Amino acid sequence: MLEKPGAAELLANARDVLLQELLPNLPEPMRFQARMIANAMGIAERELGASQAKAGSARAALEVAMGPGPDGGDGRLRELAKEIRTGQQDPGTVDHAVTARLLREYTRFRCSVSAPRSLLGRG
Amino acid sequence: MDEALLTDWLRQASGHAALTIRARELLTGGAIQQNWALQVAWPGGQEDWVLRTDSAAVLAVSLPRRAEFALLQVAYAAGVTVPEPLFLCDDLSVTGAPFFVMRRVAGITAGHRLVKSDSLGGGRAALVRRLGQELARIHTIRPPQPKLGFLGVPPVDACLAFIANSRAALDRQRAPRPVLEWGLRHLELNAPEPLPPVLCHNDFRTGNLMVTEQALTAVLDWEFAAWGEPHADLGWLCAPCWRFGNHLREVGGIGDRADLYAGYEAGSGQVVDPERVRWWELAATIRWALIAIDQAERFLSGTECSLELALTGHLVPGLEWNILDMVEAAHA
Repeated sequence: MLEKPGAAELLANARDVLLQELLPNLPEPMRFQARMIANAMGIAERELGASQAKAGSARAALEVAMGPGPDGGDGRLRELAKEIRTGQQDPGTVDHAVTARLLREYTRFRCSVSAPRSLLGRG
Repeated sequence: MDEALLTDWLRQASGHAALTIRARELLTGGAIQQNWALQVAWPGGQEDWVLRTDSAAVLAVSLPRRAEFALLQVAYAAGVTVPEPLFLCDDLSVTGAPFFVMRRVAGITAGHRLVKSDSLGGGRAALVRRLGQELARIHTIRPPQPKLGFLGVPPVDACLAFIANSRAALDRQRAPRPVLEWGLRHLELNAPEPLPPVLCHNDFRTGNLMVTEQALTAVLDWEFAAWGEPHADLGWLCAPCWRFGNHLREVGGIGDRADLYAGYEAGSGQVVDPERVRWWELAATIRWALIAIDQAERFLSGTECSLELALTGHLVPGLEWNILDMVEAAHA
């Protein structure tokens, strides 16, 4: 068994120290780098915390739209990308609305790790 | 940099045989370019210049400096607010890399400061109007231009060319990007008719605009310039990704569209088509996402171990969110 606190907790705590204790005492030219480090730690922390359930729901949405496939990852996305490019998901097609919702779900999940502020004020 | 060699070269280029370099300071230095502030003097005169050069790592690519110098010359001659280009040096024996010298211009470029200030550049409305006029001035530069031969032949249809180039870029990537495809398909289905080509700056945005309290003092970073459609520059400036958090100010986080369009129309005599601007705004967001993917790839491939490049890749989901918003708004 691994010791606690675990990776996500350690990152969160270290990030707080960086932002609240170190950053105010750094010279101005180094603050940008310190903020980048805090940003990277935040992404890593959220990625660790991104539950399998959430990742699963994005994949489930993909399968609802496209049917189950042997490969829940890039292979299905690649097919979807191709279908979109060739007009098979255009407005007016049967799958259009489902695909639009799927892309929202997929992007919401990705934003929740990489760029949660993008989602502020959205449903 | 051997200052004696540089001084000799500057004496010849400027015609001031007694020129001396009084001060030299690195303004910005990145992996690709460096900008040095030079204070030079000669009997009876003193000037502030900027020397822009390639870093040693990219010596093989000498065209960008020469091309950028030519673009500055053409823009300056057309009355665009750019630093006056002075001298170009292709001779590697002087500093070890190609460089050019331009007159130094006062001001700041920092986007996060600009979007927070109600007074910089003469105030939000005045500055945004001026940006419109400035773009109109850039767009007076039309092909053919003998000095800009390196730009090649203008695309017959800039909109369709954008879509084709973006898809080719996607096909070079390792991961599928269905949201970018979604945006591109929307653009394809709604592409407007082509317009006569003009010179587009292609990176005219907050962060590349130098301002003082009173006014715009320089439009910088011309390395993406190309023949294109005038609304492309307006769309790039209005894209959500250049608002530095000030989302309610749709023109680069600085001001309002009405002022930008009014400035552009006053400067060009052409009516701005807001639908075309929206088209190019979506295109801009896709383009920036493609650039961000490329930058992350430079990190992932081990070419450059830069935290900034690594983090740029994480901008992509937020840009994709914007793309979905824009497509949805267009359908509403």
